[in-house]
Amino acid sequence: MKDLLKKTVEYGRNLGAEYIEVRAQNLFKTLLTTKDGTVESAKQGTESGVGIRVLTKGAWGFVSLGKLDAKILSEAAFEAVRLAKAASLHIKSPVELADVKVVEDIVKANSRKKPQDVSLEQKINDVLETDKATLSFDNRIRSCTISYLDVTGTNYFVNSDGASIEQDKLYVWSRILASAKEGNVFASAREEIGSTAGYEVFDVQTPEKVGEMVGKRVVDQLKAKTPKGGSFPAIIGPNVVGVFIHEAMGHLAEADLTLSGSVLFDKLGKKIASNLVTVFDDGTIEGAFGSFKYDDEGVQTQKTCLIDNGKLTGLMHSRETAKKLNMKPTGNARGEDFRVEPIVRMRNTYLAEGNSSFEELLEKVDFGYYLKSFRGGQANLDGTFQVGIQEAYEIVNGQIGEPVRSASISGNTLETLLMIEAVGKDFELYPGRCGKAQTAFICDGGPHIKVGEVTIGGGA
Amino acid sequence: MAELKLGELLDFGKKAIAAAIKRGANEAEAYLSIGTGISIDIERGQIVRSIKSMDQGLGIRVIFNKAVGFSYTNILSDKNVNETAIRAFGAAKASKPDKSWVKLPNPRSYSDTNKTYDKRITELSSDALVDIAAEMLGVVCDYDKRVLAVAGGASTSVFGNALVNSHGIEVSEVGTAIGCSMETIGRDGSDVTPACFDLDAQRVYDIDPIVVGTEASRQAVSSLGAKKMGSGVFPVIFTQAAFHSLLYYTVINAVKADFVQRERSAFKDKIGEKVASELVTVYDDGLLDGGLLTSKFDCEGVPCQKTLVIEKGVLKNFLYDNYTANKEGLQSTGNASRSGQTSYSSTPVLEANNFAFKEGNKTTEDLVGEVKDGLIVYGVQGAHSSNPESGEFSVVATPVWKIENGNIAYSVRDVMLVGVFFDVLKNVSALGNNVRKLGHLVAPWIRVENVRAVGRL
Repeated sequence: MKDLLKKTVEYGRNLGAEYIEVRAQNLFKTLLTTKDGTVESAKQGTESGVGIRVLTKGAWGFVSLGKLDAKILSEAAFEAVRLAKAASLHIKSPVELADVKVVEDIVKANSRKKPQDVSLEQKINDVLETDKATLSFDNRIRSCTISYLDVTGTNYFVNSDGASIEQDKLYVWSRILASAKEGNVFASAREEIGSTAGYEVFDVQTPEKVGEMVGKRVVDQLKAKTPKGGSFPAIIGPNVVGVFIHEAMGHLAEADLTLSGSVLFDKLGKKIASNLVTVFDDGTIEGAFGSFKYDDEGVQTQKTCLIDNGKLTGLMHSRETAKKLNMKPTGNARGEDFRVEPIVRMRNTYLAEGNSSFEELLEKVDFGYYLKSFRGGQANLDGTFQVGIQEAYEIVNGQIGEPVRSASISGNTLETLLMIEAVGKDFELYPGRCGKAQTAFICDGGPHIKVGEVTIGGGA
Repeated sequence: MAELKLGELLDFGKKAIAAAIKRGANEAEAYLSIGTGISIDIERGQIVRSIKSMDQGLGIRVIFNKAVGFSYTNILSDKNVNETAIRAFGAAKASKPDKSWVKLPNPRSYSDTNKTYDKRITELSSDALVDIAAEMLGVVCDYDKRVLAVAGGASTSVFGNALVNSHGIEVSEVGTAIGCSMETIGRDGSDVTPACFDLDAQRVYDIDPIVVGTEASRQAVSSLGAKKMGSGVFPVIFTQAAFHSLLYYTVINAVKADFVQRERSAFKDKIGEKVASELVTVYDDGLLDGGLLTSKFDCEGVPCQKTLVIEKGVLKNFLYDNYTANKEGLQSTGNASRSGQTSYSSTPVLEANNFAFKEGNKTTEDLVGEVKDGLIVYGVQGAHSSNPESGEFSVVATPVWKIENGNIAYSVRDVMLVGVFFDVLKNVSALGNNVRKLGHLVAPWIRVENVRAVGRL
């Protein structure tokens, strides 16, 4: 395979490509969907293909195709060079790439339980066990939908700098979605599990444990009240801290978006958050859903510090954005598959732990909200963020009070980062999927924190 | 580059089915798709990239003793197609019987669709597409120096789908699409606006990049200098983008038969009841001329149709695919969908086609002019966090402008809209005459009374 890709790179160079990279994949996926104890579908599939990216005269050409034979690859390289030249006609500020170490490596997946060694029957049984545990938690739970996915296979990367990388891919993921109804009150709750280690993740996230967690979350909402709208102090749990750090802070620090005018545009080296705030984007955590060894530009992953004790110290880069900002590539260029080109994406993004206990965070809150788990979030370049909350509680006189449903929080990222008054000493990381035209598998998390004020919406 | 003809796709489909039936499958269905997409990308004020992508594939669904197995591949060769069929059969054998399974659809007759294929799009070169993107970008660059073209571009796609099943369905079609889009921000010193956006997507070669560039620029300049506002209850005009976001995660789910059957829909047992303002009439029209989601047949080979969903505020019908229709002894409404570029890799899911609101008679000037104190919302952030069952939403309006005494007065920021989307439908007070297509939605601007906005002074 690598010889074929090297030949294609050579062919592209001869056609005038200043830079060319060829990424090829052979993937095998298993997907299951169950609804209320019934297997809706058991799917298995294979995907192979190649993505060829060419830089010429300061512009990109990219061709992807679901085929892998020599003649067609040459035609595709030719087409990619032609496309780059067409795009370059209007270029004002040519694209250039930062230099990186040229890597030749083979990375093998190393799991205790390889997903491909677990039979389809076993996977179906495990999913149905979780379904049963969720539905049987309480008879007001009316439906449970579970999706399961595993992806295994190999990525090949060859470029005109001389890099040549073969890297196994391994992802195991599951999402549990439950809904409950009592009278006219509807409630829903979800949970995701994800790992790059192997099927052994389900030895920890057992059906009983997951079923009880989701079951309790959805049933609690039936008796929950809607929140008051307005600005309140809040204790934010690791799950919501994670999505806040990812959505509200992380996206703005993706250098392509920073360059596009995000509010962090002129903030490098400046204080943007409370001194208690340190944030990392880390691709090196073993087994975490956002970890990998090399990104899709052949750059080795790393632990990148974004905020150091309140000061913005780093951004996440591709080779292109690093060059533009005269910084070093960070290994954040990821492409969902061969069909799409690598763009700047997060890995495992989190707020580092502090030293307050949960009780210390709570004790000074007379009235506020404890925001425990989220349902979706989104941020805008101007720093406006919104995070939907599926599990929340009132805080009254320093004590956790009644459950609250269908809340959401919003605010401005920079104002909110400055209002972080205390950071807990606990820490948790949650797997998720992030959409930015493409889907990337990521983690986010952190400790519990106390925020002086966030806007709570919700409550009709 | 070599491309497959529809006839060849159908042949692979037939071979896959034959292989599954030969193994012992009770029923089998092959869905095939092929597509070529070209796109020209704009980033940060310049065209930086041209992309061409080509993919094809086959997904085969096999039923054995009421258990459903599925497998797919994107390498279409006799050997691979045969292996894929065998793997689907293996998956069905490994799976559990579904008591509610009845059968795959039988053949029915199809209606023709209009304005879903345009030869001019198939002939449009990447160079011509670069010109379209450059024209749109030129408008933005010339509009005002405070506007930055953050992202956008122009794209075409040409695709073919085929479906074959063991009950005799054998159908195929080709389609085209073209679009251009522009995302801008306004920047004036430290004042940064939220992302502003406009797009024009069509099935035939009839897009206007100048209008898109101008509108995205106008929004960005007009968003500068946003003020904060206090909380209150206001009439709100939703543009198509804002309305689509909220509708998609709430009402569109509530009319899907699987949500109804699984007690996840607030519309369960409400057929014949008033669920919306009497100004609201909605069809799900899979045959709409030039509709973005129009096709002759759905992803199970069932004919697409025009289904009356809400008539003058009264709920009339739910949307069905083959499985949910069989559960109630009804006929599918042609709403089985396999989405995305790799549609062959997914099993059918129940989805709306073109969810079309009947237009009103108000001009956009009337809609705004009749509001004394209200908001006009061009987008919402966080709609996907809405509660799909209860319809509760709590989103940030962005970008958003205040309307005072019948005029769009100034932009506002830090505004959340909260409520229950089913109440929003009941409080519709006017619909415009400016129908546009966006995603699943075909609708004009819609004005809604009594929407709660949470501001922050």
